Amino acid sequence: MTAAQTQTGGPPAIRLRNITKSFGKGRAAVHALRGIDMDVASNQLVMLVGPSGCGKTTLVSIISGVLDADTGTAEVFGVNWPDLSGAAKTKRRGELVGFVFQQFNLIPMLSVVENVAMPLLVRGEPMDRALDRAAAELNGVGLGDRVTARPAELSGGMQQRVAIARALVGRPRLLICDEPTANLDGHTGQHVMDLIKTASRGKAGDEKTDGRCVVVVTHDARIFHYADHIEEMEDGKLKSPSKVILEEARHVPHYDREANGETNGNGGATDKTK
Amino acid sequence: MNRIAIKMLLGDRAKYLSLVFGLAFAVLLITQQGSIFLGLMLRATGILQNIAQPDLWIADPHSEYIGDIRPLDDHDLYRVRSVPGIAWASPLFATRARVDLPDGRHKTAQLLGIDRSTLIGQPPLMLEGRLEDLRQPDAVIIEESSRSKLGGVGVGDVLKLNDQRAVIVGICRAKMGFESNATMYTTYNNALQFTPVGRERMSFILAKVKEGVPIQRVQDTINGMTDLAAFTHDGMSDRTINFILKETGIGINFGLTVALGFVVGLVISAATFYQFTLENLRHFAVLKAIGATTATLIRMVILQALVVGLIGYGIGVGIAGAFSLLGRKPGAELAVYFPWELMVGALASMILTVSAGSVLSLRRVITLEPAVVFK
Ligand SMILES: Nc1ncnc2c1ncn2[C@@H]1O[C@H](COP(=O)(O)OP(=O)(O)OP(=O)(O)O)[C@@H](O)[C@H]1O
Ligand SMILES: [Mg+2]
Repeated sequence: MTAAQTQTGGPPAIRLRNITKSFGKGRAAVHALRGIDMDVASNQLVMLVGPSGCGKTTLVSIISGVLDADTGTAEVFGVNWPDLSGAAKTKRRGELVGFVFQQFNLIPMLSVVENVAMPLLVRGEPMDRALDRAAAELNGVGLGDRVTARPAELSGGMQQRVAIARALVGRPRLLICDEPTANLDGHTGQHVMDLIKTASRGKAGDEKTDGRCVVVVTHDARIFHYADHIEEMEDGKLKSPSKVILEEARHVPHYDREANGETNGNGGATDKTK
Repeated sequence: MNRIAIKMLLGDRAKYLSLVFGLAFAVLLITQQGSIFLGLMLRATGILQNIAQPDLWIADPHSEYIGDIRPLDDHDLYRVRSVPGIAWASPLFATRARVDLPDGRHKTAQLLGIDRSTLIGQPPLMLEGRLEDLRQPDAVIIEESSRSKLGGVGVGDVLKLNDQRAVIVGICRAKMGFESNATMYTTYNNALQFTPVGRERMSFILAKVKEGVPIQRVQDTINGMTDLAAFTHDGMSDRTINFILKETGIGINFGLTVALGFVVGLVISAATFYQFTLENLRHFAVLKAIGATTATLIRMVILQALVVGLIGYGIGVGIAGAFSLLGRKPGAELAVYFPWELMVGALASMILTVSAGSVLSLRRVITLEPAVVFK
């Protein structure tokens, strides 16, 4: 597929040109996105910030292929979403994108490990293999002992870690996180961001996750320092140059935990953060 | 994903149970009402239920149903016997008679007079006494549940039947008619004795067609004769049910009730399942976002519909079946008839409805925007 051209240093992981999106028609229409151009390089953790209603969620919906733009090009690792539709698009999305949501979106009737296995099951992987890989992934987020629990039995932070495991189990190149820490307290939020940051590096030597790119939508200034790059939005547009000072955000890069070294539990190899 | 679909279904115990019980209730409503309706219609065929030996029932052509009795002549019996292809023909006398009870009250009884020599038209099952004793003068055999209706009488007791003396020589089991009057058997000759009218009291001629002769041909021959009409057992039964449905209020009134039960049952099932899918819509959206194709989701919904539909069906039919067992007790006033066609019909309507419910649900699943997961 597109592996060759999307190696680190190759073409951008995300390439948006003239993206517009409106909801509703006529006078009542809301112009959520008013012409977005954006390039994100591989191996980046990009944060998307801006006031409520400025179009952040709409933008990541389009980047991740769950929403169609009205106009423009939305290319992710060489896949142009507007070229795809129906089952082909859905399958491609399943391979390419992992999701972490503000409200976790775990399926309450299923056990934690079944939730995590879901991206593999929808691809048609056999149940026992999928469950094995899911259990390994849960181990990677420090929940190896809670595989049979129901989501409701876990704390918010734990549920978000389950969601991260689910997002990563299929080894997606693109990880989309919409307000991943908004429902969590500060400390738990930091822990969740540590996991996302670790995941953003992909797994060394894994061609599938090499050059992985992470987009995090957030309001939470306490996690700005995790970003490699911050894009600020206002009223359906990107503000440039960004006013958020990266230098300020970046001055606290202390990853002081030990337990969360394994980002891709399926491979067995660990990627210890320093 | 099939296992996941089932787990999503069973995972929420409360929702699952309310779904299954909603469906079971719908099936119960359909089969229960249906079986009572069918049971009543069957009862309406009265004496037809008990007499299986003859191929043809011959009556006055103006008789509209089995209970509409227009007497035939002795002469008609000879005419039928002389029709080519007839093996035998027996008279049957069906009438109402008044039974005086010792306490001064009286009851109306259905009195059946059967041919004295052949005993054709005899009760299906003897419980006490001997059928042959019916040939004695004044003898009657009464149907078991009629004993209590007549004040707890038994074999050997003497009744006053239309002011004549009648001796009970046996107890039998037989199906009751519409009016569930006390039912008693006697011989044709005795019946004439008990009934204070002239000779024209033959109600039906029961006839058997010779082996190898097409029944239809004999039937046509008899129908070609003036003042006689021949019906097969089923033909007479259909004629009776049609009459009840069209000419009495029962058809329209009870039919409406049954139809209502049917529609309500089906709507409940469809709505219940639709509701279930709606509540899962967000989960389906998540699955769609992470790569489940619409086809996969459709399969999941249909599987869930089938599982829950079949379980609900099983429970509903089970309860309705238990009801019908009550109705099978001899002499039970509950008229229940539970043929396999009803079960198949209920299954078909169940599948139809749950499919309707799922089609509604599927429309939502198919048009589902995965973007709602961010909401
Ligand atoms: N499905 C929709 N139908 C109608 N309007 C919508 C829809 N989705 C978004 N909008 C509108 O588009 C605009 C951008 O919404 P969006 O959710 O992208 O904002 P946001 O930056 O994510 O805000 P928040 O920080 O509150 O999550 C808003 O005015 C919103 O009301
Ligand atoms: Mg938003």
